[in-house]
Amino acid sequence: MQSFVLRAADRGYGRYVSTGPTSSYISGHPESVLTRHSSFNFHEYQEGRAGFGRIRVFGEEIFSGLGCGYNMHPHHNFIICAFVLRGCLTHINTLGKVDEVKAGDYYVFSAGSGGKHAELNIAGEDLRVIYIWFLPGKLLLPPSYRRTHFDAAASRNRLARLVGAPDGVLPIDQDVRVSRLVTDVAGTHVYRPRSGAHGTLCLRHRRRCPLRGRVSRPPGQHGAVGH
Amino acid sequence: MEPFKRFLCLGCGFLYDEALGLPEQGFPPGTRWADIPDDWVCPDCGTPKRLFEMVEIEYAPGQPVA
Repeated sequence: MQSFVLRAADRGYGRYVSTGPTSSYISGHPESVLTRHSSFNFHEYQEGRAGFGRIRVFGEEIFSGLGCGYNMHPHHNFIICAFVLRGCLTHINTLGKVDEVKAGDYYVFSAGSGGKHAELNIAGEDLRVIYIWFLPGKLLLPPSYRRTHFDAAASRNRLARLVGAPDGVLPIDQDVRVSRLVTDVAGTHVYRPRSGAHGTLCLRHRRRCPLRGRVSRPPGQHGAVGH
Repeated sequence: MEPFKRFLCLGCGFLYDEALGLPEQGFPPGTRWADIPDDWVCPDCGTPKRLFEMVEIEYAPGQPVA
């Protein structure tokens, strides 16, 4: 079995402002800033891994500033998932959807035969979101958009399936699953890939304690992406 | 004849299918990927040719629409 570890500091990093040459790419009030940490090669960052299984893009992004985000832009084929960790993401797509995706919410946007979307932080409070792009199971599928909410309290200390058959909350036209674990106790959790041919990508995220001087241990978060 | 191949833009998902070419850009059906100029970029997002990936993924039913 092959395995690798990718540390947060070793990811690609991009910083884009809503003014100057990137002003049509990045939305927002002047001097809005979008930062992106890419686990896999994406755009200018091409020094890392090409992807993992069906995953081609894995970005941890922060949108800072009023209206900061991505202006309306086109996609085909990729299945784009967004998981909002903090703040509120306004998602607008050409399927006729205007959505507010808040902390804990996530969506699956399958661009299929063609669609556009805009991703905006209207409120201005920093928005933190993870984007994962999967290759599709078939080319030029009918585009679709689905969204729901991950209830961290109800799923506490339990590995919850967010995306993917057969028991994921949101279906996806690809042989992948996305699961998430939020835990604040030491313990062992087992994730079983569906077969020996399936791999597992595990994202570990330790949440910073929001209150200085607080004694209690900050909760940690783990996410698992299988393919 | 070698089967036609398909290439996906890793910037946006735009598909180039050798069988279909890109007639609006002067590449008739059957134009091989190797015959697309190296300085060609994705017509939708500007991603350079070298950042396309060959994919062996079937079309969804009813696709491609001619």
